[in-house]
Amino acid sequence: MSLQSDPPAVLERLLERALAASPYRDDIVGDLREGYAAVLDNRSLTAARWWYCVQVLLLAVPYFCRSAVRSRVRFDSPAAHGGARMDRLLLDVRFAARSLRKRPTLTAAVVLTLAFGIGANAAVFGVIDALLMHPYDMHDVDRIVMPMTTSPRFSGHRETVSAADFLDWRRDLRGGAIDHLAAINWWDANLVGRDAPERVLGFFVSPPFFDALEARAAIGRTFLPDEEVPANAKRVVLSDGLWRRRFGADPSLVGRTVLVDAEQWLVVGVMPPGFDFPMRSELWAPLAFDGKSARNRSGHYLTVIGRLANGRSLADAQAQMSAIAQRLGKDYPETNAQLGALVSTLSRGMADVGVPPVLALWQAAGLFVLLIACANIANLLLARGAEREREIAIRLALGSSRGRVVSESLVESVMLVALSIAPSLAIASASLRVMHALMPARIVRFIAGWDRLGLSASTITATLACAAAAAVVFGVLPALHLARAGVSEALKSDGRAGAGPGRQRVRRALVVAEIALALPLLVAAVLSISTVTKFLTSWQGYDPNNVLTIRVILPESRYADADSRARFASAALDRLAAMPGVRGVAVGNVLPAIDSNAARAIEIDGQPVTDGSKAPRVDYRAISAQYFAVLHMPVLTGRAFTIGDQKTSEPVAIVSESMARKFWPSGAVGQRLRVADGAWMRVVGVCGDVVHDWFDSRNVPTLYRPLAQAPSDGLVFAIRTAADPLGAVADARTAVARVDPTQPIFDVMSMREVLSQKTISLQYIASVMAAFAGLALMLAVLGLYAVMSYLIAQRVREIGVRIALGATGRDVKSLTLSQAARLTATGLAVGSLLAVALGRAMEAGLLGLVSSDVRLTALLALALGATALAASYFPARRAAAVDPIVALRSE
Amino acid sequence: MPTMKAEDVYVGELEQLILLLVLRLGDEAYANPIREELARTAGRRMARGALYTALERLEQKGCLRSTMGNPLPERGGRARRYFTVTTAGLRALRQSRRVLLGLWDGVESKLETS
Repeated sequence: MSLQSDPPAVLERLLERALAASPYRDDIVGDLREGYAAVLDNRSLTAARWWYCVQVLLLAVPYFCRSAVRSRVRFDSPAAHGGARMDRLLLDVRFAARSLRKRPTLTAAVVLTLAFGIGANAAVFGVIDALLMHPYDMHDVDRIVMPMTTSPRFSGHRETVSAADFLDWRRDLRGGAIDHLAAINWWDANLVGRDAPERVLGFFVSPPFFDALEARAAIGRTFLPDEEVPANAKRVVLSDGLWRRRFGADPSLVGRTVLVDAEQWLVVGVMPPGFDFPMRSELWAPLAFDGKSARNRSGHYLTVIGRLANGRSLADAQAQMSAIAQRLGKDYPETNAQLGALVSTLSRGMADVGVPPVLALWQAAGLFVLLIACANIANLLLARGAEREREIAIRLALGSSRGRVVSESLVESVMLVALSIAPSLAIASASLRVMHALMPARIVRFIAGWDRLGLSASTITATLACAAAAAVVFGVLPALHLARAGVSEALKSDGRAGAGPGRQRVRRALVVAEIALALPLLVAAVLSISTVTKFLTSWQGYDPNNVLTIRVILPESRYADADSRARFASAALDRLAAMPGVRGVAVGNVLPAIDSNAARAIEIDGQPVTDGSKAPRVDYRAISAQYFAVLHMPVLTGRAFTIGDQKTSEPVAIVSESMARKFWPSGAVGQRLRVADGAWMRVVGVCGDVVHDWFDSRNVPTLYRPLAQAPSDGLVFAIRTAADPLGAVADARTAVARVDPTQPIFDVMSMREVLSQKTISLQYIASVMAAFAGLALMLAVLGLYAVMSYLIAQRVREIGVRIALGATGRDVKSLTLSQAARLTATGLAVGSLLAVALGRAMEAGLLGLVSSDVRLTALLALALGATALAASYFPARRAAAVDPIVALRSE
Repeated sequence: MPTMKAEDVYVGELEQLILLLVLRLGDEAYANPIREELARTAGRRMARGALYTALERLEQKGCLRSTMGNPLPERGGRARRYFTVTTAGLRALRQSRRVLLGLWDGVESKLETS
């Protein structure tokens, strides 16, 4: 049975626990299971989980209470202390409920503060759960493994696998720890069906791929072992979505052929709905190796998966793979000497290396917010405890035990937490929904598990754990204070409850902690926001406004040689340029900020390279003549390319300013270089630098060549329009279709959209951090305000005396403000240290995407300090307005 | 207060409804359909917990008897508890029907005209 058809196991166990005393326990749980399945059938998974959660609460609470009452009745004899304890607990609960109801504002403030703190943590945990812990919904997903090559080149990190290594692995693993070893390779398929051509994301997979995932075709079959041979490999399996969208769910499609990449492919099967591994793939074809590629040990491009053999563990698989890698290292020292092998689970292997540090950062930020919230609540409860000090002292004097008093206070804290659980879950669920909705679909498929974002059973468990921890953190402190309360002092004191130096110290320490925790969050948020805005708004070396981009990948079967690719490019340029409202058109293998990049090893004339692996590498662009003009990139010296730069004319190149400076400090124009062992090219111009990606430093050396001399099969067109570029989309589609009606285009977007999507992950980081920082700031300022008001209320009499003795309003204000200033300054000092540490962690974790800045920290510390002082100004003004007569008479 | 015979039991209105539904549902009388039928025929949306309590009470009174069915995979390997009305239950139903019909006698015309 799959994971989803079962209700959350935690809740089910909770229910069983609550029903332990009922003779109907098993059939109630069973009935709920049937109900859950019915809701799941008629509505969504989320609806079913919510339904189940509500039902469990509705059942468990009354049953639990009833059994509590029963046990009280049963044990209500003088000999049974357990029953007396339960009796008292019920009394405490009733008492706490009444006291919470009597102070609705305080209760609401505490519950809301807690709900935000816990909800934020639950949401972050929800993301961690979906992305890292359970990204795939497959049968026995923990037994699907991913063997990878490791290499010192990536400091021991994983790398894709070469074809020859994969074939050796498979041979050596036969009958070993991993079954169904299958390689996967990316396939940008151009599908021509009944309608317009479309680019479909597909994958070439070894036939055992489907067995490794235990997936079966819904119609027809998956691949047979002999379809791995190039002669038999023109087979495809379709996803359910593609089959419905493009072929009208026609079951007779199986056994017929479809036109993909200008060739006929036999459809052998259709997968069931929901199967889209990997990355929302819609099309699968057998991965076949010809003789040459099967011997290739240096080209690493395959992803490999397999399933642990029965009775074998991950450790067995790792041991066997390490042995194989060692042997291959001995047999093929020139390619494999440095390589090792690593076996990880699928979930771990497919996760982006950048994701865990970001999530760790979020979780840390969430914990900071929760801690601040707890500090605030502890403060509020301390103040409440102080009000009741005399009452409690009297009770203690009359013979009540300290245990009673403490348990009362703990019960109250637990009840506050219990009240906040539902709103916490609502906040967590809403934030997850917003996060899910805002992510563009073309990016979602690269984030395994993003579609599973939502409240899961483990998220709910984490929320409960978080809540329990919070109750301990803020509940114990006031309780301990009550327990330590000195009876005689409290009774002797004049009603200035809670003014004891010890209590004030705790309260001050809490405020200092709040400010100290808020500062690093502010710094982290401003850091990530400024990185985003810098990339989106400042000059990056080109003008992204009013540019439409279109991507094309020319299939090799139809555009086998350089000439045909060049012909397509120039014909498409002519058609696009003829569209109304178009100012200019250019094409290149890569445009600034587009998802792909290309780099090449080069050789500078006069600087021969002895060791091939140490050759300098530069970003590589093959561009049409108008490229610089269309993107408004400056040509600094020399000339831009012209239509005169053809295949037959002299090979020429343009280099970016940073490249010119790096290799030819005395002037680049006229110098020669070549790519790998190609023909020598003469540099004819130097152009401005562009920032290709937001984590690049500004100056990546870049080499530009005329497209006519270096044709590319991946093309990006840039169309500069007079008005809104999105208005030209339909015309552009028609124009390309006129050149080749079977050629699909994709990623038709304005360059502004490209930029925005490029930074989407950073935008997410920035907005989540901003939300946390905003919460933290608000809570810290509120906390300071509350504590200052409280401290001043405690000192009203003293202030009255001071005023009576001649202190002016200004003196009183400065007295109280300086108290606040001392607290704030201490908090900021500690916070700055934390901020520097967090900044360092962000630099390391975010792969150097942001750089921490001491000046920024100082600036934000000043701002936070000013806000904090502003918050304490109001209590200070109130203190200055104290009427000495009233203050002294209050005695 | 009139004395009742030892085996006489009194059933309330909700209990009557439940007993009648158990009779009507026959072989399919377990908690889920009882609750659904209660909502459908009588318009009574009953909290799940309350229904189990009522069933438990009826069983204690001797009006219902329950037997366990076979373990079912869709219930996570748990069995259904099927209910049947005992003779005591039938007697209680008959008794309350008699009382009600007696009381209805002669007041119908009043209800219709008002």
